[in-house]
Amino acid sequence: MEIVYVYTKKRLEFGRQCNFSDRPAELHVDLAPDDKLVHDFIEKDPCDSGIQCAQEMSEHEVNTERFESESRGVNHVEGGWPKDVNPQEVEQTIRYRKKVEKDEMYVNTILQLGSVMEHCIRQNNAIDIYEEYFNDTTQESAEEPSSAKTINVFRDPNEIKRTATHLSWYPDGAKKLAVAYSNLEFQRSSPDTSLDSYIWDIENPNKPEMTLKPVSPLVCLEYNPKDSHILMGGCYNGQIAYWDTRKGSQPVELSLVEHSHRDPVYKVIWLQSKTGTECFTASTDGQVLWWDTRKLGEPTEKLILDPTKKMNIDNALGAISLEYEPTMPTKFMVGTEQGSVVNCNRKAKTPADKIVALYTGHHGPIYALQRNPFFPKNFLTVGDWTARIWSEDIRESSIMWTKYHTSYLTDGCWSPVRPAVFFTTKMDGTLDVWDYLFKQKEPTLSLQVCDEALHSVRVQDNGRWLACGSHSGTTTLLELSDGLCVMPRNEKVLVTAMFERETKREKILESRHREMRLKERSKSEQGGGEEHADREGEGDEEEEDLVARAEKEFYEAIEAEKKDRAAKEAKRNEALKKENELQGEVIMEEEGEEKVNGHPEKDGGTPDNATE
Amino acid sequence: MDDFQTGEETAFVVDEVSNIIKESVEGAIGGNAYQHNKVNQWTSNVVEQCLNQLTKLNKPFKYIVTCVIMQKNGAGLHTASSCFWDNTTDGSCTVRWENKTMYCIVSVFGLAI
Repeated sequence: MEIVYVYTKKRLEFGRQCNFSDRPAELHVDLAPDDKLVHDFIEKDPCDSGIQCAQEMSEHEVNTERFESESRGVNHVEGGWPKDVNPQEVEQTIRYRKKVEKDEMYVNTILQLGSVMEHCIRQNNAIDIYEEYFNDTTQESAEEPSSAKTINVFRDPNEIKRTATHLSWYPDGAKKLAVAYSNLEFQRSSPDTSLDSYIWDIENPNKPEMTLKPVSPLVCLEYNPKDSHILMGGCYNGQIAYWDTRKGSQPVELSLVEHSHRDPVYKVIWLQSKTGTECFTASTDGQVLWWDTRKLGEPTEKLILDPTKKMNIDNALGAISLEYEPTMPTKFMVGTEQGSVVNCNRKAKTPADKIVALYTGHHGPIYALQRNPFFPKNFLTVGDWTARIWSEDIRESSIMWTKYHTSYLTDGCWSPVRPAVFFTTKMDGTLDVWDYLFKQKEPTLSLQVCDEALHSVRVQDNGRWLACGSHSGTTTLLELSDGLCVMPRNEKVLVTAMFERETKREKILESRHREMRLKERSKSEQGGGEEHADREGEGDEEEEDLVARAEKEFYEAIEAEKKDRAAKEAKRNEALKKENELQGEVIMEEEGEEKVNGHPEKDGGTPDNATE
Repeated sequence: MDDFQTGEETAFVVDEVSNIIKESVEGAIGGNAYQHNKVNQWTSNVVEQCLNQLTKLNKPFKYIVTCVIMQKNGAGLHTASSCFWDNTTDGSCTVRWENKTMYCIVSVFGLAI
């Protein structure tokens, strides 16, 4: 048997037919040597080449991704109900509950969840693991030197930097800080400058928590102590605006331009009232205006700071700082550009009687004015080169004052927890912490916060956290050491004694001064016309003498200061003690000179002399 | 149309290829003067560009592209090639390009599949 297999495959499946043949060699390029071109080249001999023995290195920079945190909150009230069940209706919810309980999966689910819950329930809650055992023992704070550390720095996020003019702490705990930004240099701000002010979360310096968008940059900004959602701001153009943080960045209401201040609003303070909607503002136009946020159309009350009590706005003193103590709701005080403090009573019968007393002593605007939180009779003023403490009863002079600094003071405030501690900021960027029980001549702690002028300072209610705003809008948050925010046991007593002693001293000096003036007056009345002329001549001589003496003292002081600085430069680290002595001398001389320049009419009985 | 193009499509058109080569060389070297440290870059650019353009023709061909760059210093250069292939479809093209300072010789061999 023959078996034949036939395999078939189409020609095209085999691929192309190969028809290869040889192609003769082909000359591609035939370039003949060209002797002429050789002449274009010369041999390089010797040949220099550099060799580096060191290892080759490279530098690379890498930026890790920036961590941005954002906090969100949800207020969970009632949930999990289906759409058709109204959680407010008790019957509906009971019915739904019963329906769920009948579900066959109900028992299984409860059993499953039960084991999870049981673990939590079984945890021992009887012992408070976070308990502090030695809470009641007071710390002896004198041991460690006082210090402060920077916690956070909040920078103005805009291209064109503005001054952080005013700070306000969130009233419910130290969580947020509202900062008002504006350029206070007259007509210097460019039209591109941002108007916004910000509320910062103190944990997050990258991004402000909220932006406030006023119509004109804010000079001051204040949280309502009764309602932490409400903020009141005073604008550069004199208008008042208030914000509700729940309602967004735009102001809820603005005061009308025609009823507002005519100058920047430098200070706003919320009043103690049942509704918590009243506040009052001060401006350099010489007016103090009272407002109610329920109708911001026009001020509820108005006071013109005319010291002659004629309510003439042309004579008015420009107000730059305000003080209001909630425990004395009818009283308030105003610090003026002219360097005087006006003590006022809101509930006076006539508008003119509202001005009760005038305290003069500063040579320039009073940038800060605050009553001592423990002894409201005594108040702190900050202006020119000094900070002064006054007693309400003594109008002639402050009862205590700091030395004349070399740079201007810009702001100050009391510590809310220690009666003897206050803070001042200076143009050279330093923050001074004064503890008047510990040291009177020098600040207890002097801290260079930044290289530019500091403009504002505010302490949180716990007395531990302090924020300073600078000229270019940098807000620095500092934490003070325990020594500065824990009150020693006997401090209140000591401070009371100190204030009383100083007040008494001033009183005695004042009465003696008055006596002497009386004597002089009676003497001059007794003397005849000729004698009077003689006396005048004498007076002139005396005056000349005084001028000469003042000049001499002034140049001596300058010399001493110069020497002092040179010495400082030369030996910065050593001879600290000596330096202090030298400085002490300078202060005395400076003050002496000031006496003569500032109050030439006063004689030897000036309080300054008496203190020294 | 298709029938008309078939002849063109499967053949190696020397003119077309020589245009591609010239363009590639102009693009990669252009008016540059001979620079020793750039030659490597130039040669690879020339062959890459050539091959790119050739593949864009969408013809069933395998291609071999070579490039020689020589400085004009008076030395001679002679190259030749010989092939065993299908003379009806396959082909080669060599272009000699020169400027003031160098020669660039590019050869392309196209082999029909």
